[in-house]
Amino acid sequence: MDFNPCMKHKVVRKAVRMFAEAELAPIAHDIDRDARFPWEVMEKMRPLHFFGLQAPKAYGGAEMDTISYAIVIEEISRVSAAVGLCLTVHNSVGIYPIVRFGTEEQKNRFLPAMTQGERIGAFCLTEANAGSDAGGVETIAVRDGRDYVINGTKIFVTNGGVCGTALIFAITDTQNPQRSAAVFIVEKDNPGFAVGEIEDLCGMRANPVSSLFLEDCRVPETNLLGRPGNGIKIALETLDTGRLGIAAQALGLAQAAFEDSVRYSKERQQFRKPISSFQTIQNYLADMATEIDAARLLLYRACAVRDAGRPFGAEAAMAKLYCSALATRVTNTAVQIHGGYGYSKEYDVERYFRDAKVTEIYEGTSEVQRMVISRAVLARRT
Amino acid sequence: MLKLVVCIKQVPMVSELPWDPATGTIQRDLAEGMMNPACRSALDAALRIKEAAGGEITAITMGPPMAEEILREAIALGADRGVLLTDRKMAGADTSVTSHTLARAIEKACPGFDLILCGFSTIDSETAQVGPQLAEELDIPGVAYVNELEISGRTVRMQRFTDNFLETLEMDLPGLVTVTTGRYAPRHVPLGGLQAAFAGADIVSLDAAAVGLDPERIGAKGSATKIRNVYSPTAGKKNIVLTGAPKRIVEQLFERFDDKIGGAIGRDLKTERK
Amino acid sequence: MTAKKRGIWVFGDYRNYFQNRVTLQLLSRAKELAVKINAEVCAVVFGYKTDEWKGDVLSYNPTFCGVVGEYIAHGADKVYLADHPRLAAYSMETYTLLMERLVKREKPEIILIGATAFGREFAPRVAKRLGTGLTADCIGLDINEEGLLVQMAPSFGGNLVAEIVTLERRPQMATVRPGTFQEIPHDYVRTGEVVKVPLPKTLPADRVRLVRSEHHPQREQKLEDAKVVVCGGRGLGSKKKFAKLFELAELLGGEVGATRPVVYADWADHDALVGQAGKHVRPQILFSFGISGAIQHTAACNDAKFIIAVNKNPNAAMMKRADVAIVADASQICTTLIQELKRRIR
Repeated sequence: MDFNPCMKHKVVRKAVRMFAEAELAPIAHDIDRDARFPWEVMEKMRPLHFFGLQAPKAYGGAEMDTISYAIVIEEISRVSAAVGLCLTVHNSVGIYPIVRFGTEEQKNRFLPAMTQGERIGAFCLTEANAGSDAGGVETIAVRDGRDYVINGTKIFVTNGGVCGTALIFAITDTQNPQRSAAVFIVEKDNPGFAVGEIEDLCGMRANPVSSLFLEDCRVPETNLLGRPGNGIKIALETLDTGRLGIAAQALGLAQAAFEDSVRYSKERQQFRKPISSFQTIQNYLADMATEIDAARLLLYRACAVRDAGRPFGAEAAMAKLYCSALATRVTNTAVQIHGGYGYSKEYDVERYFRDAKVTEIYEGTSEVQRMVISRAVLARRT
Repeated sequence: MLKLVVCIKQVPMVSELPWDPATGTIQRDLAEGMMNPACRSALDAALRIKEAAGGEITAITMGPPMAEEILREAIALGADRGVLLTDRKMAGADTSVTSHTLARAIEKACPGFDLILCGFSTIDSETAQVGPQLAEELDIPGVAYVNELEISGRTVRMQRFTDNFLETLEMDLPGLVTVTTGRYAPRHVPLGGLQAAFAGADIVSLDAAAVGLDPERIGAKGSATKIRNVYSPTAGKKNIVLTGAPKRIVEQLFERFDDKIGGAIGRDLKTERK
Repeated sequence: MTAKKRGIWVFGDYRNYFQNRVTLQLLSRAKELAVKINAEVCAVVFGYKTDEWKGDVLSYNPTFCGVVGEYIAHGADKVYLADHPRLAAYSMETYTLLMERLVKREKPEIILIGATAFGREFAPRVAKRLGTGLTADCIGLDINEEGLLVQMAPSFGGNLVAEIVTLERRPQMATVRPGTFQEIPHDYVRTGEVVKVPLPKTLPADRVRLVRSEHHPQREQKLEDAKVVVCGGRGLGSKKKFAKLFELAELLGGEVGATRPVVYADWADHDALVGQAGKHVRPQILFSFGISGAIQHTAACNDAKFIIAVNKNPNAAMMKRADVAIVADASQICTTLIQELKRRIR
């Protein structure tokens, strides 16, 4: 067992950190304020393989290991969680299902444009009446000759406003929703595919989360991923991977809030001393440091299990549960340490605080993570 | 095919410096390293030559074993091979000894080189001396502070702007240039390249014995200069704080510092008191 | 016959004489150091028709005119002069060769060279040929109790200063940053010795060929050389408020600098960027408006002699580094300063 980062992981971290600090840091505050998606940064990320982190080389990807992948998301999110969100969703739930379940023809048709960042991916499961309960999905795909015609409305789609390729979770038989669930690859230029209004959210404001409308959206049957009935399996496996990315994102946020807190507590003077000299603040910082370290180890362990080719669903859920709760806690303490300034938009901790909460909600709420974990626990212990 | 050699150095990451402003010390052993910015520009210049005319790039660095990181990074960016000079005996070298060590290693590991590219200066010691001294050691023509260069045949044409002179210069290969950070903007590291650079890359590690260096002439032992003391010039600076209404602050500023401000701008800012 | 006096040499870098007085500054400091080790101050001049050259001094003494006259008037006891058509343009290889031979013959104790771009390339080559040490870009020089030259060299963007000595090898060599020392006023009745240095019989051709050279003296008032710099950051609030800095800078006869976020937001040109990736400034006074002080920025400001920072946040890193920290809205102070300066400058 080796807990020391290897040279590759250190260098990956530095390379991404330098990129993020040079290209993203100067605008991170503004894109949040203006709820603007930074296309100019996407252009810079494209040739650097940010859009094909784990995809196979054959389709233009960087074929990174999962720990490297988590480090990339963590470092980008440390500077802008909203951009981290775009990347993790694109790479995990956008690209991975096609890599894992797609036919050779589908991979050749869809992956190169995605790994090159020409088309940003999105994964659309949530609906008005379905979220944690995938069985409640009402979007329906009806077979018509060699095509499927899809109708329905998806909500809270991360990358919704900018996606080029969306994976649509739909049922193909209203009588038997669970066993007829399927995933379709739909491209933004498909007739009948429309982007709804951008959501006005608490955090992650630079990511254009939106609803998507499918109105008699016709796709050829070759756009069906796997078989009808595979949907739930694809969704669950996809989400396992997605959770690692969200955990990494939450970790990056916590790290940023922690670093800002350390810096601020050394600068801020009260009673003629830096506040870092007070035991209360020291305790806050010690707890933050300890929990962040624990979270990081938990996450990298889950990634290592995945790289070893073993089932990692429970480990991913644990990492996601812990990292997201940690992010909320640490960003909250960070605001507290910053006092009135922390509550002001002049300081970045205010943004971290708003960004953190949703990590406990999306890609499976904390309650769902506990369901997944307890299921694994109960299955093992008789 | 042109044989290009790029000398690179790992320096502490400025944003990561474990830096204590009160005592003015840096815990260098805690600092994370990165490729010096001007070295990245030199590498970029080499990559452009390779992209335009073909060639083989060898990145060479002297430093602790950890400096292998920047060789991998250079390979991820497009260098073909890396040479790591690492030996405790090489530590503490001043610029003259560094250039001696590098020169002998280049002769050993890159015989028949055509062009050596160095960053014009490093952000840690900021001497800008190793490049020119390396040219002396190898007895080849060299030009420092190059903004732009192009190679045609065996001739390098360079442009630089130094001391208010915009100069165009030429030399024949083999030669050496030190490159500024202006024109050659450092590239970001492609992540795919990084994966490949760690999967399998041509990196050789050489110690003093392998290069055939005289232990008396390298490292701190061979260096003519010695560091006697290090201090922070900003520590202990007076820090006067002014608060209140803007009008009052500005009045105070002039009351206390009109000489200082007036002196700098060469004008008398005193007003007669009513 | 008395023993030959030890020499402190100063390389005569006269190309940008009216903008860059580093040689004169070094002559001044060399005179002070010479007292401590009982040495004579010598200038070394390489060039062509240096006697026709017009500086500050209007001399009617044909021996002490031109560059030589300038240096004697500013403190040199002796001038080594090589005047030849081959030396008309600064040539790295020829100058290095001449210097090497001259030093080996005369054996000076100390050589000081201005840290111009030329000086910083020339000095390491000379040091290498002489097998001696060299400290770059010094911001201070002294003689210690052992009689050694203490060379104070900045590193990490001026965050640290190292005191360096050259123990056994000679000469002791340093390049020195322009503006470190004050020149002494010229004294044109002063006399000195002029030693003509002949060129060697065979001088190899330069391997680096000068194809074209244009002098651009108009670029003297660069941000890097400005005596007053007015820097602005995101704390100013808007492009319009940032633009006020130009008015302030004009009143102060200074230049405007900017931080990275400001350049990104297009409030200022990239040319104005003060930072690790931009320009390093070294003004007498630096005004810093609404700048929190990321280390990439502060490192580029460390050479400012006096810093006045304005920020609403008294704990910003820039405020901690300032000589005067003004806790207020940056834009308001800027406006008030402009008004007050207009009142005071007639």
